[in-house]
Amino acid sequence: MSRVPVPKLLFVLAIALAAIYLFPLYWMYVTSLKGQSEIFANPPTFWPRNPDPSIYPETWARRNMSVFLWNSVVIGSGVTALTVLLGTGCAYVLARYRSVWIDIGLFAILMLQVLPASVMITPLYVGFNQLGLLNYPRTAVILAASAKAIPFYIVLVRATFMNVPRELEEAALVDGNSRWGAFFFIVLPLARNGILVLAILTFMQAFGEYIYSKSIITTQAYQPASVGLSGFLGPNSTDWNGIMAYAAIYVTPIVAIFVILQRRIVAGLTSGALK
Amino acid sequence: MRRILSSITDGKGFDILLVSLTMIFLIVMAGLPLLYNVLMSFQQVDMFNLGTFSRPFIGLENYQDVISQPEFGLVMKNTAIFVFGSIIGQFCFGFALAIFFMAKFPFASTIRGLFLVSWVMPGLVVGALWGFILAGDYGVLNAILQALGVTNGTMFWKSDPNLSIWAVTIANIWLGLAFNMMLLSVGLAGIPGDLYEAAELDGANGWQRFSTITLPMMRATIGAVLALGLIYTLQQFDLFPAITEGGPANSSSVAQYWAWQWSFKLFDFAKGATVSVMMLIFVLIASIVYVWSTRHEVRG
Amino acid sequence: MKFSKVKLLAGVAFAAMAIAGPSVAQEPVTITVWSIDGANQAGPSDTFSKEFNEQSTDIKVEYRTLKFDEIVNETLRAYATGSAPDIVSLDNPDFALFSSRGAFLDITDMVKNSDVINADAYFEGPLNSVTWDGKLYGVPKYTDTIGLFYNKDMLEEAGIAEPPQTWEEFEAAARKMAKPDQGIYGATLSARGNEEGTFQFLPVIQMSGGSYKDVNTEGAREWLSMVKGMIDDGVMSQDVLSLGQFDSTGTFNSGNAAMAISGPWEIERMVKDADFDWGVTLLPTFKEGDERSSALGGFNLGIMSTTKHPEEAFKVLEYFVSQDDRLFPEFGYLPARGDIELPETGVEKKDAALKVFQEQLKYAKPRGPSPVWQKVSKAIFDAEQAALTGQMTPDEALSQAQSTIDSVVQD
Repeated sequence: MSRVPVPKLLFVLAIALAAIYLFPLYWMYVTSLKGQSEIFANPPTFWPRNPDPSIYPETWARRNMSVFLWNSVVIGSGVTALTVLLGTGCAYVLARYRSVWIDIGLFAILMLQVLPASVMITPLYVGFNQLGLLNYPRTAVILAASAKAIPFYIVLVRATFMNVPRELEEAALVDGNSRWGAFFFIVLPLARNGILVLAILTFMQAFGEYIYSKSIITTQAYQPASVGLSGFLGPNSTDWNGIMAYAAIYVTPIVAIFVILQRRIVAGLTSGALK
Repeated sequence: MRRILSSITDGKGFDILLVSLTMIFLIVMAGLPLLYNVLMSFQQVDMFNLGTFSRPFIGLENYQDVISQPEFGLVMKNTAIFVFGSIIGQFCFGFALAIFFMAKFPFASTIRGLFLVSWVMPGLVVGALWGFILAGDYGVLNAILQALGVTNGTMFWKSDPNLSIWAVTIANIWLGLAFNMMLLSVGLAGIPGDLYEAAELDGANGWQRFSTITLPMMRATIGAVLALGLIYTLQQFDLFPAITEGGPANSSSVAQYWAWQWSFKLFDFAKGATVSVMMLIFVLIASIVYVWSTRHEVRG
Repeated sequence: MKFSKVKLLAGVAFAAMAIAGPSVAQEPVTITVWSIDGANQAGPSDTFSKEFNEQSTDIKVEYRTLKFDEIVNETLRAYATGSAPDIVSLDNPDFALFSSRGAFLDITDMVKNSDVINADAYFEGPLNSVTWDGKLYGVPKYTDTIGLFYNKDMLEEAGIAEPPQTWEEFEAAARKMAKPDQGIYGATLSARGNEEGTFQFLPVIQMSGGSYKDVNTEGAREWLSMVKGMIDDGVMSQDVLSLGQFDSTGTFNSGNAAMAISGPWEIERMVKDADFDWGVTLLPTFKEGDERSSALGGFNLGIMSTTKHPEEAFKVLEYFVSQDDRLFPEFGYLPARGDIELPETGVEKKDAALKVFQEQLKYAKPRGPSPVWQKVSKAIFDAEQAALTGQMTPDEALSQAQSTIDSVVQD
């Protein structure tokens, strides 16, 4: 978009910025490898004196992480599926028209986001209890977390649909397609990339869901990794290198996938546009 | 009946069906809890009637009590600092980075990918991490600042009442940077390149191009980013217990943390609901900004 | 953890049996127990529950570990929605929130008739915390308190012969041992903005003649000014305002603080982590020979009044209490009763420290009991923080706390 006389300089600058931005991540890995007392040393050491990678297998086994991570995947997938199912159609309609009703709809969707999860949980718990949903705790969490994810999804997928040329849909309708047909066979495929990307983003947010899970899921075998992590943070037994190792195991796979996929993600969000 | 059916498959009914399914779900899962909280803010609540709707009404007493708390003004001020500080920080850094990475240089898009990391980090992990980085004595931020000669003494980010709210704000800016940069990048990518070329031929300088092309073309994106940013900042909770716990002496307590503290630390559920209802005002602003911004959308 | 895998398998197997097996004539009664034990390492309640199940056929204990921060509100919510556990273990100041409203079962008579539980054996402080209106609503599980840990090497190096016994000596010693240029503070404590802050500050109020209902004492004001002075001069880290006791003591263990106010739960870690000679002494007083005080920590066990099986629940409670003699040797917790001998461990520092804490326990005073304890506590730690950060003078802070406390405590 602008003239770039010195790409190499920009490259160096970009690396420097990335290093600053990623420092917290580096700190997570480094802290996990330190000994208990070295963690509290002043001044802090930038590289552990005796790096001890055995904390990783130890934390993995001791914290039973495979079960926790599996539950995170289950909850993340459930939330994503429900969100895509309910959000896509709604976003499509909200992008299709321009009227006071649409404004009211968008307004309402945002307003329903007003309360933080920490305040929503009490009424939801009471309601789920009466419906007997607490016996299906992961389902209950998926329902609750989806309600948090959908508005965000709608706002962004709506933007994707805005980029789908109206004429294509109208042409399909003229050709004798029903509204269903036009939606499924013309509009959806054109918005596919954007939807896919937002589904990934939704999954990654739901993967870290914490507040609902911790209150609704009482059986350890069904708890996600976030709740497992919070189990560490006791009052008198804060095992920081273990926490950091847990956190590292928790986020590294998703960070890695994300970085690998990022080209497609940004491209996906933009290429819905067929200019 | 047939008319309804055919409307569903092929008319307005199709649109209404799609929207109403979602709206019903949202009203049940988010609307009812909202109502429950609004109701509760006018009622007297204790552990025996927490599970029902029928509770003694006490009018505005909860509101009066909350407002007359010595920390009320401080919490509102902190909320404003946190919300606007976070949004301005996230947006400016995010926008700057988005524009920077539009430039063509080796590995631009790969490096940009790294900046999306904070999006996928669970809030709990980010909180624990920043709590550690911002610690006064063994915190690494101080060590870096001192090594660079920016500060002499130790900055007690978590324990100095003048810094604590900023400590959480910094962490939140980091957390929200990915989101802002990603959406703004998408918006920038949507601006046709020939517009800039034309402007350049007309002799417009960088700032003129930015203010006459970039900003107007991005109005819809900016509105959405700011509105969502405001809402997400108001929802941001995980960082507070992990970094400052609202302290020292409430100097970093914000409305959403205070509401939680009332409900789950002091077990006064009605006051917690009252504070959360007061937050409606902020989200109202966000929603208006967003709906206004959609008026400037250009349909592709 | 292997242990939890076993538990998991056992749970699955049990569930499978319940589904597949023919219904047995006598269904075992299930008693649910909630406690914070067993999150990081085996604790008393989870261990005893498991062992109870091994020897019992007619009662099954279903155990759930909760987080310290969440056990009270989870219990409240469960109680409100009719899904409360049968037995729950709460931190002692939180107990009155439930007992005062009759949410715990009055077990006065059951205890009278019990051969296992003897109310008279308990220390006064812990017993007070399970009593409301003269009735017994639970039993203390274990107890703890705080004292002053000191780094003997640093004390010696500074030429101080005896660990400080008064706050004046405490300040003088801290100032002498602090080496700001080497990142070494004279002392550390926890003035965190949560229960931990109150836990450590309330004893100061109490030993200067106050109580949780009467906080603005001269001694408390003096103490706040003294600590603020130490923070201002870099003798104590300002981060005492955000550090929990565990992290605060961590700085002591790593040699970055010469003294630390903390409790017996630290002994184990200190023996392992601290590579210097250390000791414990009683919490300082204002003047030599003054009234002593210290914090009373520890958890209680109570039966929820909504239980369908009060007798079976009481049997489980009796079993837990019957294992009290294992609390210290196996878990490092101090029993809340005087009729249990604590065996020598053979680790010299540990045994010496234990003696001090047992002495200190005699002066430990409970927080409350008050049904609005959480609000009182917030007023107290807010005041401490406001004074230590200089947002208010000690007098302003404490009188603000006093007026908040007056408005919430009604009796």
